[in-house]
Amino acid sequence: MIKIKNLCKQFGKNEVLKDISLNIKQGEVVAIIGPSGSGKSTLLRCVNNLETATSGEVWFKEQEVTGKKADIQKIRTKIGMVFQHFHLFPHMTVLENVTYAPKTVNGISKTEAESSAKELLSKVGLSEKAEEYPGRLSGGQKQRVAIARALAMNPEVMLFDEPTSALDPEMVKEVLDVMKSLAQSGMTMAIVTHEMGFAREVADRVLFLDEGVLVEDASPQAFFTAPKSERAKTFLQKVL
Amino acid sequence: MIKNNKWMLLVLTAVMLTGWFAQGFLSEAPNASAKEKHNKTLVMGTSADYAPYEYIDTAKSNEIIGFDIDLARHIADELGYNLVIKDMDFNGLIPALDSGRVDFVMAGMTPNKERKEKVDFTKVYYSAQQLIVTKDENIKSIEDLKGKKLGVQLGSIQEKEAIKIKKKVKNVKVEKRNKIPDLVQELQTKRIDAAIIEDGVAVEYLNQNSKLKAFVIPDTGSAGSAVALPKGSDLTEKFNSEIDKMKENGELDKYVKKWFKIEKSENEKKDAAAIDFSVVWSSLDFILYGVITTLKFVAVSIVLGFLLGSLLALMKISKTAPLRWFADAYTSIFRGTPLILQLLIIYFATPQLTDYEISAFLAGVLTFGLNSAAYISEIIRAGISAVDKGQREASLALGIPYSSMMRQIILPQALKNILPALMNEFITLTKESAIIAVIGAMDIMRRAQIVGADTYRYFEPLIIAGLIYYVMVMGLTVLGRKLERRMSRGD
Repeated sequence: MIKIKNLCKQFGKNEVLKDISLNIKQGEVVAIIGPSGSGKSTLLRCVNNLETATSGEVWFKEQEVTGKKADIQKIRTKIGMVFQHFHLFPHMTVLENVTYAPKTVNGISKTEAESSAKELLSKVGLSEKAEEYPGRLSGGQKQRVAIARALAMNPEVMLFDEPTSALDPEMVKEVLDVMKSLAQSGMTMAIVTHEMGFAREVADRVLFLDEGVLVEDASPQAFFTAPKSERAKTFLQKVL
Repeated sequence: MIKNNKWMLLVLTAVMLTGWFAQGFLSEAPNASAKEKHNKTLVMGTSADYAPYEYIDTAKSNEIIGFDIDLARHIADELGYNLVIKDMDFNGLIPALDSGRVDFVMAGMTPNKERKEKVDFTKVYYSAQQLIVTKDENIKSIEDLKGKKLGVQLGSIQEKEAIKIKKKVKNVKVEKRNKIPDLVQELQTKRIDAAIIEDGVAVEYLNQNSKLKAFVIPDTGSAGSAVALPKGSDLTEKFNSEIDKMKENGELDKYVKKWFKIEKSENEKKDAAAIDFSVVWSSLDFILYGVITTLKFVAVSIVLGFLLGSLLALMKISKTAPLRWFADAYTSIFRGTPLILQLLIIYFATPQLTDYEISAFLAGVLTFGLNSAAYISEIIRAGISAVDKGQREASLALGIPYSSMMRQIILPQALKNILPALMNEFITLTKESAIIAVIGAMDIMRRAQIVGADTYRYFEPLIIAGLIYYVMVMGLTVLGRKLERRMSRGD
C-alpha cells in the first residue's frame, strides 16, 4: 500500500532522514519507535507530503506522492492523519468537525454526512458530545474526535503522529482502545508512538529509527525480546 | 453547511449594502434645488458659511440661501438655465472651477490678480467695504495694529488687505483661518487682536456682540464681489449684460436691501452668554441629519476597507513574490501619507485626470476605504499568522482546498483574534470621517460648522457634534463587545 524508496530529508544542513526504504502492506499495523529527534514524525509526514522529501520516492498504491504531477490533495483524502495536538477546528462543534471535510471535499449531502458521522462518534464512544465545541472536551475526548474526523473521509490508511503523547496518563487508554479496535477491523495503520506495550500488543511490525536511519524492521516479538542492534538495546533499556 | 451559508450571507449582504449605498449616492443630486423649468442646467459653486452672501438657515431648512443665491437664480433664470448649487470649502472653489466640477462660482468672491490668472470674472455686482473688527478699545486706526495679531480668512481678499497693512504698519502678525466664524471665535478668546471682515458679513457679528467694535479700512478701493467663470467662457458676457440689466431696472438694489439691512438699533444689541444652547436648539435637526451621511459613509468605507484589506492580507501571505511586493508597497504608501492629502488628491485630481466628476461622498468613501484597507490588511495578516499552524496542517491532511480552508477554517479563527483591533480601526474611521467636511460632504462636522456660521455661535454646535460622534463610537464599542462574546462561545 505504501512504498518508500531511498527517502532523504534535510532541513537546511540538518539531515533528518537518511536513505530510508520500506513497504507497508494493506491491513498491516506498523509501529515507528525511536528516541526523540530520530526523524519518526518527519518520516510519517513525508507519507502525505506535509513534509516534501529532499530526494527519494514515496508511493501510495499506484501513485507517486513525491511525483511532480501528483494530485496531492486527492491522495491526502485517502490518507487519514491524527496529530499529537489534535488540531480540531475550535469554532466548529464536534459534529461539524467530523462532517466538514466529507461535505466540502467529497460533496456528500449534509444528512448523509451527519448520519455516518454519528455512527463514527458512537464507535469512539462520544455520541452525546456531538453538539459540544472542542474547548469543552478533555484531551482524550478530543483525540477520539480527531480519529473520527479522519475516518469520516473513508481513508485507506491511517497515520498516527504520537497520538497519546499530549494526554494525561488516565486518558491514554481510551484512545489506545479506539486504535486497537480500528486495527482489529483491518485498517492499515502507521503509528509513531512511545507506548511500548501498545506497540508490542497491537503492531504487526516495529520500525526502529535512530538519527534518521532505519536501524531495525522486525516483528514486535523479535524486536522487544532480541533486538539486533546496540542502539535498539540501549533504547529499550531506557524505556522499559 | 450552516457555517458556510452564514459566511456567504455575510459577504452577500456586504456586497449588496455597498451597491445600495453607492447607488443612493451617485443618484443623489448634490444640494440641488433644480426646478425642471428649463432644459439646460448650470452648476454653481459656493461656500455656504458666509452669511448673508450664502448660508443655510439651519433652524428652518437644508437649503442654501443668501444674496448670491438670489442673484444667481435670477441670472440663471433670465439666461434660460436651471440652477444647481454645490457647497464646498472656500479654498476649493477655484480648483473646482478649474477642474470643471462647477460652471461658475459666486461666493462673495473678489477679483484679484492671482485669481484672474486662473479664471475670468464678470463685472463687480456688489462692492463691500473692509472693516477692522476688534475687541480692543485701543485699536482705532490701522496704525494701532502695530505689534498686534490680525486675523483673515485664508485665500480671501482680506488676506491681501492684511498684506498691504503689514507693509504700512510694523510688526503686524497675520493669522489665517479657514472660516469667518473661526476668526470671530479667535477674537472672542483673544487669540487674535483684530480681524478683517467685509461689512455685510461683519454687521451680524457686531449686532450679536456689543464688545466688538469696527472701523472701515481707508483706501480699500473697489473691492467688490464678482462672478468667477472658467477662462474664455462665453457665459461671461451674458452674465455681464444681465448684471447691467439688474443694475438699471433696480432688481439688484432690491436684493441688496433684502440681505444687507442694518436694522438693529443700539438698544437691541445684546451680549450673548458664553454658552447658550437655546440659540442652536432649533438647528439640532439640521445637525442630526448629518448622522445619516456619516453612517452611510462609515458603513460603505468599512465594507470596502474590509474586503480590500482581506484581499491584501492574502497577498501578503501568498507565495507569489510580486503580489507580496504590491501589497507591501500599497500599505506603505497609504500608511505613510496623511489621510487628508489622499482625500484632496482623489477629490480634485480624479476629474482632472479622468474627466469623471467624482462626488464628494464617493471620493470620501474611496479614500477612506483604500486607506483603511492598508491598516486592516496588516491587522488581518497578523491575525492569520497567529492562528495555530496545526489548523492548516489538519486541513491539508484532510485534502481541504485552499480557498475553503482560508474562508472557513483560518479566517474565522483569525477574525476572533483580531476583532478588538478591527473594532478599534472602525472607531478611528468613524471619528476621522469628520475630515470629509473639508470637501463639503454634508456630514455631522460640516453641518455643525454651517450652524456655527448661521447662528454666530461656535462652541455649541461643535459640542453637539462631539456628543453625536461619542454616542456613535460607544454604539460601535458595545457592538464589538457583543460580537466578541458571541465568537468566543467555542472556547
